[in-house]
Amino acid sequence: MFGTRAAIAGIGATEFSKDSGRSELRLAAEAVFAALDDAGLDPSDVDGMVTFTQDTNQEIAVAREIGAGELTFFSRVEYGGGAACGTVAHAAMAVATGMARTVVCYRAFNERSGRRFGQPDARLGGQPTSQGLEMSWHVPFGLMTPAAWVAMFAQRYLHTYGATSEDFGRVAVAMRRHAATNPAAWFYQRPITLEEHQASRWIVEPLRLFDCCQESDGAVALVVTSAERARDLRRSPAVVTAAAQGSAEGQMMMTSYYRDDMSGLPEMSVVGRRLWEMSGLKPQDVRTAILYDHFTPFVLAQLEELGFCGRGEAPGFVRDGGIELGGRLPVNPHGGQLGEAYIHGMNGIAEAVRQIRGTSANQVSGVEHVLVTAGTGVPTSGLILSAG
Amino acid sequence: MRTLTEDQIEIGAVLPELSIDLTPTVVVSTALATMDFTPVHHDVEGARAQGSKDIFLNILTTMGLVERYVTDWTGPEAIIRRINVKLGVPAYAGDRLDFNGTVVTQDGPDYTVEVRGKVSLGDHATATVTFTLPSDRTI
Amino acid sequence: MTETGTRTDTGTSSEDALLELAEKQAALGEVRGGPAADPVNIPMIRHWLDAMGDTNRSYLDQGIAPPAMAQVWTMPGVRRGVKERSPVDDVLAALDAAGYTGVVATNCEQTYHRPARVGERLTAATRFSGLVGPKRTALGEGYFATWNVTWYGEGDAPVAEMMFRVLKFRPRRRRETPAPASGSAPAASSAQRSGVAPYPLRPAQNRDTAFFWEGVRQGELRIQSCADCGRLRHPPGPVCPSCRSTNRSFVVARGEGTVFSYVVHHHPPVPGREMPFVVAVVELPEGVRIVGNVVDCPPDAVGIGMELRATYRAMDDEVILPMWAPRES
Repeated sequence: MFGTRAAIAGIGATEFSKDSGRSELRLAAEAVFAALDDAGLDPSDVDGMVTFTQDTNQEIAVAREIGAGELTFFSRVEYGGGAACGTVAHAAMAVATGMARTVVCYRAFNERSGRRFGQPDARLGGQPTSQGLEMSWHVPFGLMTPAAWVAMFAQRYLHTYGATSEDFGRVAVAMRRHAATNPAAWFYQRPITLEEHQASRWIVEPLRLFDCCQESDGAVALVVTSAERARDLRRSPAVVTAAAQGSAEGQMMMTSYYRDDMSGLPEMSVVGRRLWEMSGLKPQDVRTAILYDHFTPFVLAQLEELGFCGRGEAPGFVRDGGIELGGRLPVNPHGGQLGEAYIHGMNGIAEAVRQIRGTSANQVSGVEHVLVTAGTGVPTSGLILSAG
Repeated sequence: MRTLTEDQIEIGAVLPELSIDLTPTVVVSTALATMDFTPVHHDVEGARAQGSKDIFLNILTTMGLVERYVTDWTGPEAIIRRINVKLGVPAYAGDRLDFNGTVVTQDGPDYTVEVRGKVSLGDHATATVTFTLPSDRTI
Repeated sequence: MTETGTRTDTGTSSEDALLELAEKQAALGEVRGGPAADPVNIPMIRHWLDAMGDTNRSYLDQGIAPPAMAQVWTMPGVRRGVKERSPVDDVLAALDAAGYTGVVATNCEQTYHRPARVGERLTAATRFSGLVGPKRTALGEGYFATWNVTWYGEGDAPVAEMMFRVLKFRPRRRRETPAPASGSAPAASSAQRSGVAPYPLRPAQNRDTAFFWEGVRQGELRIQSCADCGRLRHPPGPVCPSCRSTNRSFVVARGEGTVFSYVVHHHPPVPGREMPFVVAVVELPEGVRIVGNVVDCPPDAVGIGMELRATYRAMDDEVILPMWAPRES
C-alpha cells in the first residue's frame, strides 16, 4: 500500500471572491505561503511542485515567488478539475519514491474575473489536435459549455431512473445549507430553498441556475510530505491512505456519450474501486465525503459509483437527508463548490484535511477517513485521507 | 532601437511574431484614429444589425498594423514602399490577431516580406510589404 | 476572399447594363476631390501611432506621416453629408439595385511614393477602373469592382496610390437581417462586410475525419467502417480498436435516428446561435450515436425516443452541419 507513506501536512488558501484584484501568480504564492505556514515549514523546504495542466502559473514561477530553491520533482495533472486529487496522488508518489521530500500542490485562478470556464469559447473545436477533433463532434452544434455537456448526461439520468429536477435541487439546497454556516464560503449565511431552486432560470435544460456551481477567484495549496515527518510537524497529518486516477473505456472530455450507458460515471467507478481496494476500507467506514459538485446531477451519480448507495438510489438517499450534516453521509460540509467556492476541487481537499484534524466550521464527529473526489465527466481522481 | 542593416537580412528570415489582443478599445480607438466612423467599427448593436457578431477592425487599421508589424522588426529608418493586402475573415473584438512574417525576396534595395495576420476564424490579412533600408546610413 | 470564381455563361441585359455603366464611369478617368479638411499634422499622427501601438519614433522626429496613414487625411469624417460623389458610387448603387447587395473588401494595395510631410494638405483623386463578373464565388454570385485612388500633395507628383477591390455579391441566403446596402463612401469607407456572417463554430478536421465532413457537403451521413472487420465507429479515428486495422472505409447511414438524450441550451449565449436551441445525442439504426441539433420543431416537443431524420444546414458559405428534424415533418 503506497498510501500511509505520505500525508498532507499543511493547507492554505486565499479568500474566495468574485474579483481578487490580484494576479493569478500572486494568488498562488499567497496560498502556498499559507500552506507552508500551516505546516510549520519554510519555502526552502519545498523541493517538489504539482499543479493542474490548466493552471496558468508554472511551477518555476511559483517557486521563484515564494523563494524556494532547488526542485527535484515537478508535475502537471491533466483533464480540468479531474486533476484535483491527482495532484496529491502525484505528490504522494514522489514522496513515497524519494523523488522529493516536500511537495506543494496548488491551484490558483481568477476564474470569475478572468477567463470563465462557463462561457462559450469558439476556439474549443478549432485545432486538429486529438482534443480539438473530439470537441469538433460537439462544439459546432453549440454544445460547448460545461453545463451543456453535463446536462446531456443529466437528461439521461432523469429518464433512466425516473428522477426529477427536484432531486437535483436537493443537492443544491444541502450544499447551500452547509455553506451558510461556513464563514469562508461565498454563500455564507445565504441558504436557498427547494422552491427557489425550482424557480431559478434554465441554463441548459434540464439544469437550472442553482444546479450550476458558482465561479470564483482564489487559490488553494496543499503541502505533502512523508507521513512520518508530518507527525513531527505543527499539525496532525492527514495520511494519504489511498489515491487513484481513473479513465474508463471510450473516455472523452465531458462528452463520453458513445458508451452503452450514459446515466453513470464509469471513470469514477474506476477511481472508487481502486480507492476501496487500496485502503481496505468500505463505504460504511467513511463518515463524510467530499464529492466534486460543479453540477448537482453528478453528485447523485458519484454516490452510486462509489458504492454509497445502489444504482438509481441516490435521489432517495438525498431525499432522506443522507448527504446533509447529521445524515448518513454528510457530503461537502464546507458547502462544496456550489456553496463555498469553485477552486477546481482543491478547496474540497483542504476541507477533508480539516475534517480529519477536527477543525472544520461544520465538523462531523468521529471522522477517521474522508473520501475526496475530483472533477466529474472528465478523467478524474480521488483520495482517501485518514487520521494518523 | 536600431535599424537592421542589409547584412542582417536574409531571404527566408522569419520575423518575430506579434500578437494583438483585439479588445473593444483597440478596435474603436484605431477606427477613430483612422477617421473611419462606420458604425460596424464602434457600435456593437450596429454591427450585429448588419449580421456581424461584434465590432471588427477597419481596413485602414489592418494596413496600419501590417506596417507597424514590419517596422517593429526593421527599425525606424526603413522606408515602406508598398503594402499589398488580401483581405480574409473579419477580425472581431474579443479575438486575437497573430502576425507572422517571412522575408521572401530582395530586388536591389527593395526587400519584400510576406505577412500573415491570423485570427481565430482564419486568415484576416495576407500581405506583402516592400521596404528599403536607407543607403547613406552610418552605423 | 480569393478570386476563384468562374464567369457564368448566362448573359442578360441587366449584366450588359451594369458593364456599360462601369465602362462609362471608367471613361470619366480620374476625378479629383477637394483638399483634405486638415493638413498633415502632428496630433493626428501621434493619435494614430498611439492607437496602433506603433512606437516607431522616426515619424514624429522627421515630421512625416506613417505611409499607411495616406487614406486617413482625406477621410470624410462623421458628417457624411459633406462628402463629394466619386465615379465609384453610381456603379455600387447599380449593383445594389440589381440585387448584389452584399459587399466584402478583397484587396487593398498601397504604394507610397514619398512621405507626406507635416503641413501639406493632401487631395484624393478617384478613378473607377473596372467591373468583372458575374462570377461564382464562395459568397455567392457577384462582381468584383476595382477603383484606384491617388493622393497628391501641393504639386502634381503623387504622394501615394491605392488599388481597392470589393466583391459585390448576391447573398445566397438571408440570415436574421437583410444584407446591408453598400457603403455610401466607397473610396473611404472600409467596412469588411458580408451578407452571411461566417459561422464561428467551425469543426477542426484532419485526414482521419475529413471524409465525414466531405460527406456532409454532399448530403450524406458517413459512418466509418473498418475495411477488414467491418466494425462501424463514430466518432471516427485512424485505427480500428477491434482489429488494429488502418484500412478504413465508410457506409452511408440511412439518415434516420432516435433521440437518446438531449438538452435545451438557454444560457449563456452561444456565438452563431439563437437561444434556445436543442442538441441531442442521436442513436442510429446502424448502431452508432452522433451528436447534432434538433431543428424544425419547438424545443418542448423534443423527447427521448423521438424519431428523427437527417437534414443538412448551411451555417455560412462554407460550413454545413448535419442536423435532425422530426421524422413525420
